[in-house]
Amino acid sequence: MKNFLTLSVTTYLFGITLWVLWYFVDQNVPFLMGEGSWYYLPHAARVLCVVYFGYKAIPALYLAELSGPYLLVPGLYPFSSYLPSFISVISVPLAIQVLRLLSFPLGDTASSPLNKRNYKHIYLITFISAGFNAILVNLYLSRNELNFPGLITNIEQLSRFFVGDIIGTVLVFVSLSYILKPIIAQSRN
Amino acid sequence: MKEFYKNIGDALSMLDGLEKDLNIRHFTPNELKVFYTIIIQSHKTNKGSNITEIVENSGMSRSTVYKTLKKLSSEDIISLSPSDRDGRESLVLLNSRI
Repeated sequence: MKNFLTLSVTTYLFGITLWVLWYFVDQNVPFLMGEGSWYYLPHAARVLCVVYFGYKAIPALYLAELSGPYLLVPGLYPFSSYLPSFISVISVPLAIQVLRLLSFPLGDTASSPLNKRNYKHIYLITFISAGFNAILVNLYLSRNELNFPGLITNIEQLSRFFVGDIIGTVLVFVSLSYILKPIIAQSRN
Repeated sequence: MKEFYKNIGDALSMLDGLEKDLNIRHFTPNELKVFYTIIIQSHKTNKGSNITEIVENSGMSRSTVYKTLKKLSSEDIISLSPSDRDGRESLVLLNSRI
């Protein structure tokens, strides 16, 4: 229970921090203003938390997904984001399950087909989950004739979601490896 | 709690690998000079270079070159093997990922 609480708080704080950072950049940084879906940083929280904390991280991730548009910036989206947010969170476990069914289960040793200590394997999960997220969220929006303000739900938006999730995750990973350099060096020794 | 720290440790290991491949670990200017000399020598000879050649071409002292080679070897950037011509001399080889 204590472990669940710790990982939930960590997941929520990580998720909401990335969302706030992403929203701030999207709203305030020249040249990047309004282009947020090309570098969606919060996808990194979905990937990292589900990969390292397991499915127990899903409730906190979902709460973090909803906190942005409902608590911090109410009315950001002109439609209910309960289901799209849930689909986005579920895209990572879905990717892991699909890989497991294809005989690539996720483990933490060098002999595991997918090793959570190898960043290339984590990028593979990122890539597949970004695909699921882009397809399923846009399918939901399109079937229900929903759009983001000033945008059309079409193949261009789907591609933007896919690329944006990957770019955002890579940016977060690279930034973390710079920021956490002293801690990483300490853990290495 | 133990499990939580283990998970964080796994995440740090993953970032460690990324840091290693991005080559963002710290190298001093002298270490970089030795490293670039190894690359140039390897390109010229198409095989490994010996330590004497690296000392001569880098302009660094033998002890600096030795220290740098030790560091590069521990980072898995180069490997050292005995020279065919002179068993006392080590041959410096760039690892394939470079």
